[in-house]
Amino acid sequence: MPLVMVVDDDQDLAEMLSIVLTGAGMEVDLVGRGDQVIDLFNSHTPDLVLLDLMLPGIGGIEVCKIIRQRSMVPILMLTAKGDTQDIVLGLEAGADDYMVKPFKPQELVARINTRLRRINKVGNLAIGNLLIDQLEHKVVKEGQEILLTRLEFDLLVTLAKEPGRVFTREALLSEVWGYQHAADTRLVNVHVQRLRSKIEVNAESPEYVLTVRGVGYKAGAAKI
Amino acid sequence: MLISKIKVRQSLSLKVLLTNLAFAIFIAIFIGVLIHDRVSSTVINEKISISKIETANALNLAQGHFNIARFQNDKGLQKVVQDFITSSREDGSLSGRETVILSINKDAKDQNIYQTVPTLLVLDSIPEKFRDQIRKSDQILDKRVTIRYSDGGEFPGFLIGGKLNIPRSGDYEIYYLFKLNSQYKSISDITWVLLVTGILLIILIGLSTQFVIRQVVSPVKEAALVAEKFTHGDLSSRMTVASDDELASLGNSFNEMAVSIQQQIYRLENLSKLQQRFVSDVSHELRTPLTTLRMAADVIYQAKDGFDSSIARSSELLVNQIDRFELLLSDLLEVSRFDADAAALGITTFDFVNLVRKCVDYMHPSKSPLFEISAPTHSIEIEADPRRVERIMRNLITNAIDHGENKKIEIKIAESENEVAVSVRDFGLGFNQADAAKLFERFWRADPSRARTSGGTGLGLSIALEDTKLHQGQLLAWGNPNQGAHFVLTLPKHYGTAAYSFPIKLEPDITY
Repeated sequence: MPLVMVVDDDQDLAEMLSIVLTGAGMEVDLVGRGDQVIDLFNSHTPDLVLLDLMLPGIGGIEVCKIIRQRSMVPILMLTAKGDTQDIVLGLEAGADDYMVKPFKPQELVARINTRLRRINKVGNLAIGNLLIDQLEHKVVKEGQEILLTRLEFDLLVTLAKEPGRVFTREALLSEVWGYQHAADTRLVNVHVQRLRSKIEVNAESPEYVLTVRGVGYKAGAAKI
Repeated sequence: MLISKIKVRQSLSLKVLLTNLAFAIFIAIFIGVLIHDRVSSTVINEKISISKIETANALNLAQGHFNIARFQNDKGLQKVVQDFITSSREDGSLSGRETVILSINKDAKDQNIYQTVPTLLVLDSIPEKFRDQIRKSDQILDKRVTIRYSDGGEFPGFLIGGKLNIPRSGDYEIYYLFKLNSQYKSISDITWVLLVTGILLIILIGLSTQFVIRQVVSPVKEAALVAEKFTHGDLSSRMTVASDDELASLGNSFNEMAVSIQQQIYRLENLSKLQQRFVSDVSHELRTPLTTLRMAADVIYQAKDGFDSSIARSSELLVNQIDRFELLLSDLLEVSRFDADAAALGITTFDFVNLVRKCVDYMHPSKSPLFEISAPTHSIEIEADPRRVERIMRNLITNAIDHGENKKIEIKIAESENEVAVSVRDFGLGFNQADAAKLFERFWRADPSRARTSGGTGLGLSIALEDTKLHQGQLLAWGNPNQGAHFVLTLPKHYGTAAYSFPIKLEPDITY
């Protein structure tokens, strides 16, 4: 059973979340304060973190950064504010996806399942000298392993599997994040930026993940 | 001419200056002419009257001499007369006086021996009329004349004439011609002095007027400038007050007014900011409990099959109402963003036709047979915020479904060079044309007694209008009771420009 860490200071909401998630076949750890996250994280490593942005102790964005320093675990933000700025801040701090309160429980479960789902295909992919080992969940460039979050890895694999295809942002949202309806395309933009900062030599002129102006993104045929 | 007239009319200082100068010039000329006349007439008349008295005395004396000399012999008499003539000419050569003696009886030849006329003098200088007067009267007379010489010289002057009786010779006219050169010289000197003084006076008055104007007008000008700044939103601009006079009190009152207006505006701003903040905070704070509520309701709803039918129905109602509540909350939050001017636009370029089609497809799959879409086959690229445009369309379509009584709904797309328009026409209940503007008011209902059948929040059209305004577009409504409604959205194709032409007109073509 996958373990989900729910970080929320609202006890009723946290309890309700645990009822829903348990009902969906997950194990749940409840944490009420931002500064307690790290202690528990070490002893009881979760498969996914559900993180409220407004927290006593350390704020959600800080917690997000701290988790990212030590783990590539998927992070799903919960936010009461639908404002662009908060969402972008959270995504840049390392969150993979976000949900604006109030949300439907089915949608939350679907979102969590997408993030927990492993891509079960085996085999190696490559973009130029970037080698992607799907079985080992590893990306190697010039002998060096690059640490990617599961979401970043999924994004890269999706692009690498069909080298010539241009993916629209909507297509990526549906394939990588599991959204059925048009959602916030900024989610894609922020993660492409983060992915580039890890794999590209120069994020300003990318070689592996290319922008197709007005349409979306595609995998580059980088020179070896 | 016209331009200068306008300038004068527009500038208070120029007006005052010109008026003042006109007065100064008028007064200077008036006084100058008066003084000049007075002085010149005094100087000349004085000279004439003195000369007249002197002449009278001299002639009296001469006549006395002549009368005594009548008892002498011819030679003695002749000598007396000659002496008189000589002395009078000699006196004249000193004072610039000419002596003319003419005989009255022209017939007697021997009587002309005493006739005397200076060599160069033109005899016409003594008008014939005046000579007639002298001949007829026994008095000493005077007249202003121009003294002319045969060498061309002309001098202003006057002549005094009288009669003399020389014994044994008869009556003679005697004329003294006086030149007024020196008098005219003095008068012209005085004229110059007057002229220069006058001009200096006018300049001085002009300068002093300018100075006074500056003192009075510049604070007025400053007040106008400050008021203008104030109007343009610079609420902190004030007049400088540096003295204690009436103008300073103008400045003080002006500044007091400015302070009071500023405070009032700040207070209102604060109030509305506080209120917007409050609405936004409330909306946010409501979200967490609403999330819990929604999840709890869903859990119950999912298990409703195992419940008693009334409890199962209750759980359905609960979920529906939570949906509605959630919609209301998000609309409310959006409205508070508009009120706070915090609505951010995410401008991209997209195909408008495609977006409208997508809205219809996504929104109400069950209602799709109702829709009749007429749109160009090609795409229409526009620069706008697709999420907001989609929301406008969603609101218009929802509205048409809610009030369309299940009749067909026509959607039309048209474009002009710089605008794109979409219209949504339903054939349902419609509304009074007078209510067209109120439709966009928050929570407005056409008929308060009519129950709200739809799941709308009452904010949809108001938000649609705000979204349209953000794009500098137009959203207009037409309606007739039981003939349906027609909403027309016009957007500029390029962000930053406004919609000026309207590819779809508001009044629909066919009504039934």
